[in-house]
Amino acid sequence: MIRNYLKIGWRNIINNKVYSAINILGLATGMAVALLIGLWVNNEYSYDKFLPDYERAYQVRRNFNSNGETLTFSTTSLKLANTLRTTIPEIESVAESDGGSSHGLMVGDKKLYLGGIISGSEFLNIFKFPMLRGSAARALVDPYSIVLTQATAIALFGTDDVINKAVKLDNNHNLKVTGVLKDIPSNSSMQFIKYIIPFSFMEQTQNWVKNAHGSFGYNAFSIYVKLKQGISYAQVAPKIKNVEKGEDNTNAKNSDVIMQPLKDWHLYSEYKNGVASGGFIDYVRMFSVIGILVLLIACVNFINLTTARSEKRAREVGIRKAIGSQRKHLIFQFLTESVLITFMAFFCSILFVLLALSPFNALTGTTIHIPFSSFIFWLIIISCVLITALLAGSRPAFYLSSFNPVKVLKGTIQVGRSASLSRKILVVMQFSCSIALIISTVVIYRQIQYAKNRPTGYNINSLLASNMNNDLIKSYAALKNDLLQSGVVENMTNSTSSATDVGWHSDVDKFPGKLAGETVEMGSIIVSDAYFKTLRMKILAGRDFYNVPADTSNIIFNEAAIKRLRLKNPINQIITWNGKQMRIVGVVKDALMLSPFAQADPTMFMYGADPHDNIIYRLAPGINPHNAIEKISQAFAKYNPSYPFTFRFVDDDYNRKFGQEVLIGKLSGIFATLAIFISCLGLFGLAAYIAEQRTKEIGVRKVLGATVSQLWFLLSRDFVMLVIVSCIIASPIALYFLKNWLQKYEYRVSIGPGVFLLSAMAAIIITLLTISFQAIKAAIANPVKSLRSE
Amino acid sequence: MLSLQHISKFYQVSGLKNFVLNDLSLEIDEGEFVSIMGPSGSGKSSLLNIIGMLDEPSEGYHYFAGQAVHQLKEKQRSALYKQYIGFVFQAYHLIDELTVYENIETPLIYQDFKGTERKAMVADMLDRFSIVGKKDLFPAQLSGGQQQLVGIARALIAKPKLLLADEPTGNLNSKQGEEIMELFRKLNKEDGVTIIQVTHSEKNAEYGSRIINLLDGKIESSKQL
Repeated sequence: MIRNYLKIGWRNIINNKVYSAINILGLATGMAVALLIGLWVNNEYSYDKFLPDYERAYQVRRNFNSNGETLTFSTTSLKLANTLRTTIPEIESVAESDGGSSHGLMVGDKKLYLGGIISGSEFLNIFKFPMLRGSAARALVDPYSIVLTQATAIALFGTDDVINKAVKLDNNHNLKVTGVLKDIPSNSSMQFIKYIIPFSFMEQTQNWVKNAHGSFGYNAFSIYVKLKQGISYAQVAPKIKNVEKGEDNTNAKNSDVIMQPLKDWHLYSEYKNGVASGGFIDYVRMFSVIGILVLLIACVNFINLTTARSEKRAREVGIRKAIGSQRKHLIFQFLTESVLITFMAFFCSILFVLLALSPFNALTGTTIHIPFSSFIFWLIIISCVLITALLAGSRPAFYLSSFNPVKVLKGTIQVGRSASLSRKILVVMQFSCSIALIISTVVIYRQIQYAKNRPTGYNINSLLASNMNNDLIKSYAALKNDLLQSGVVENMTNSTSSATDVGWHSDVDKFPGKLAGETVEMGSIIVSDAYFKTLRMKILAGRDFYNVPADTSNIIFNEAAIKRLRLKNPINQIITWNGKQMRIVGVVKDALMLSPFAQADPTMFMYGADPHDNIIYRLAPGINPHNAIEKISQAFAKYNPSYPFTFRFVDDDYNRKFGQEVLIGKLSGIFATLAIFISCLGLFGLAAYIAEQRTKEIGVRKVLGATVSQLWFLLSRDFVMLVIVSCIIASPIALYFLKNWLQKYEYRVSIGPGVFLLSAMAAIIITLLTISFQAIKAAIANPVKSLRSE
Repeated sequence: MLSLQHISKFYQVSGLKNFVLNDLSLEIDEGEFVSIMGPSGSGKSSLLNIIGMLDEPSEGYHYFAGQAVHQLKEKQRSALYKQYIGFVFQAYHLIDELTVYENIETPLIYQDFKGTERKAMVADMLDRFSIVGKKDLFPAQLSGGQQQLVGIARALIAKPKLLLADEPTGNLNSKQGEEIMELFRKLNKEDGVTIIQVTHSEKNAEYGSRIINLLDGKIESSKQL
C-alpha cells in the first residue's frame, strides 16, 4: 500500500516539476533555517557542559549594595577565597585567579604574547579540561611551573612533548612546563586560556598580591569554587551570604556573597537586582522563535499550494473512493506524500546547511558542524521532519480526502476555491511574520547607526594601543622620545585603563555636600602625561595636569562625575580619595569609554608619572598608517626586543562594542530575507495557480478589450491587499517587541512611522515583482488559445 | 439481491424541493443484466450512484444482500461496497499517474490482499483481457477502448457480485462499444455477475435482460426481454 502511495506521490512530483520545486525549495529553505538555528542554539546551550562535574563548578560574585541599588561584581578579594576554603565544609575546592591576563612567552627566539590565566592549584580539579600530558593534581603546585595548551606548546616548541621544558615569562622568569591541555573548545567560557600559571607564582613575584590577603576590600581577583558531591547551591547560599559582613570596610559591609553556576555563565551574564536575569539567553530564545516561525512559513507554502492544486487531485480522490478507498486510506496516502516531499526537502536542507555552515560560523564566531554520527541528533531531526510533514500535510490531507466522489467525478464542484479564505489567512500570517522581521532588521540597524553616529567625546581614529610590559617600563621614556622624534607619532601617553574601557572603579570617600551614608563609586583612571591631548578629550573648565610630581594630589573629573557629585563650582574644591585629599583642577568632556549605548560613566582621572599598563599613541596626521606601523614596529623591537610588537587600533576596539548588536542585526537580516523569500515562493505558486484558474476569464476580458496593464492590475490587486493587511498586523506587533528590546539601551533611537512605511513599501514592491511575472504572462497570452481550450 | 423502496433524492433550492428521484421502488435479482434508459436529467446516474452507495438517498429504504443499507454506518457500508460492487465509468476514470497494472491492482490494496496474491490476481485479469503487453503503460498512452477495458478489469478484479456501469460505451466508437457489450454479456452469462448499466443506446440496452425507462425521477416503464 505504501509503495503504491509513494509511487503516485513520486510521479506527481515529477509530473508537476515547477510546483514540486517551489514546494521542496520552500520547505528546504525553511528547514535549513530551522536546522541552522537549532544547531546554533544547541551550541549556545552546550557551553561549558563538556566538562566533567560542570554542575558542581561556580564562580563567586558579590551583590554590592550601592545606595539601595544592587550591583553585581565578579571581582572578589583573596581573603574571601581563604575564608570560603577554610570555613565552608560543603566546598570541595577553591581556586583564586587573576581572572585572565596577557603575558609574553618566550622560548629561544620564539616570542608570543597570549592570553592566559593565573590561578590556584585547584583550578584543574574544578575545570577538568582534558590533559594530554602531566597530571591535573600536580601541574600547578610548583610556583615556577606553567601548563600550556597543545596549540601554544606547538607554537612555542614545534611539538607538544614539552614536559619539563622551560618557558620564559615576560622576559623575566623561567617556568617549567608541567602539563599540556587539549586546546580549549570554542564552546567554553574559558576559551581565552592559552596557558595556566600557578597563583603561587603571582604571590611570590608580586608584593601587592601577597599583601592583598588581609582584607575583603581588595577586590581584584576571581574565585572559582567546586562544591562537594551531592551538595546543592541552596545549601551553601545562606552560609556564604554574610561571610564578609564582619569587616569594617564599605565594600565588605555592603556585599552579599553569591555564586553563579558554570552552566549559566555564558547565557545568563546580566545581573539585575542581584539576580542573573538574562544576557545572551534572550537572543537564543528570540532566534529559536524565529527559526520555528520561518519553518511554519514554509509549511504554509506547502499547505496553500497543495490545497490550491487540489482540483488536479480531486478526480483521483473520487476514483479511489469509487473503487473502495475509505477516507482514512486517503488521509494516509496524502500524509505519505507529504512525508516524501518533506524528506526530499530535508535532504536539500542538509545540503544548504553544509554550504551555509562556514560563512555562518565565520559570522557568529562559532565552530558548529552537523553531528552526523550522533544517534540523538538523527533521532531528534527525524522526529522534527516527521512533525513538519504532519504539520504541512494534515490540512491538505483532511481537505482532499473530504471530497464527495460523485460530485468531483461529475466535475460539478469547483474544488480548491472553497478553501480560499483559509488560504488568504495563511498568506497574511506568512507575510505578517516576514514583515515584522523586516521591520526588526531595519530598527536594529538604525539603532546601531544611531549609536555609531553619536559623538564619542574623544577621537578614536588614528589612535593605537599597545600593552606595557616589564622590559618596556625601563625603556619607555626612550621609546616615546624616539617615536615623537621620528614624526610618525603625534602624541603618546599611558594609563591604567585602555582607551575603550574603564577597568577600575573606586569610591570617592569625601566630597563637599556628601550625604550621610552615601557611597559614590566611579571609574578611576591613573594617567601619565599628555593623556587628554593624545585622546583629544576637551578640557571644559580648569586645566590639564602639568605633568609635575605635585599633580599627584590633583584630580580631574569628567562632566558625568561632577553631576554625580552635585558640585556647582568644582574647580579647586577638595575631595578625599583613597585616604588622600585631592584638589579638583579640571573638568573634562564625557568620553564614551564603556558602552556606546549608555550614558558616559562618571570617571575621575589621577596623575601618576610611572608607566602604566596601557600605552596609547596617536599617529601623526596625514601619515600612511602602513608605513607608520612599520617604523613604530622597528622602534619597539629596538627598545623591547624580547616581546613581539602587538598593537590594536582603538577604533577597532570601539567598534567591537557593537559586535553583539551587529551580529543580531545581520542574523535577523538574513532570516528576514529568507522568510520573505519563502513567502514569495509561495505567492509565486499561488499566482500561477490563480492565473491558470482564471484563464478563461482573462481570455474573455481580453476579447472585450482589456489592456495588459488592466489585467495585471486585476490579477495583482488581491495579493497586494493581503500584503497591506499583513503590514497592518505586523507593525504593532513589531513595535511592541522592538520597544521592549530598545529598553535595554539608555541611548536609543526613536521608532517613527518611517520604518513601518519603508518596510511596507519594500514588502509591496517585492510582492509585485513576484506575482507580476505570472500576471503578465497570463495577460499577454493569446485569448483564442485559452478560449478554445474550454 | 437488492431492493429500493420509496427512494427519493432531492436538492433544496431556495426552499423548494428539486426532485431528482421521486418515490422510486425497484427490485433486482441476482444474475440479472439491467439496462437503465431515459432522457438527460431523468435521474439515471443518481439511481446508479445510490445503488452503488456513492451517494445517499434523501428518503426511502435501501436493502442490499440482505442488509439495510440506510441504517449502516459509513465503515460498514464501505465494507459491504468493497465486497460486492464494481464500478465502470463513462470517462474511464483511471488514475493518470498509475500504470495499467497499478490501476487494476489498486482496489485489491484497499481490500488488504497480500502482495503475492495481488500479483496473481492482476496477472490473471491482464491475461483474461489480453492486455498483458500494456501493463506498464500509463492511461494517456492507451486508446479509449483500451482505457475502458482497463476500467472494467479494475472493476472486476475483486470479483464483485454486482457491476455498475454508467454509460460505459459513451466515449467509444461503435466497434469498441460492441466489444465492451459482448464482454458484459459474457460476464453475466458465464460468471453470473449481476450488471446494471445506464445507457442512451437502444442497441446496447438490448444486451441486457431487462430495460427500465426513467422519466423525471420515476420508473416510466420496465420491460423484460
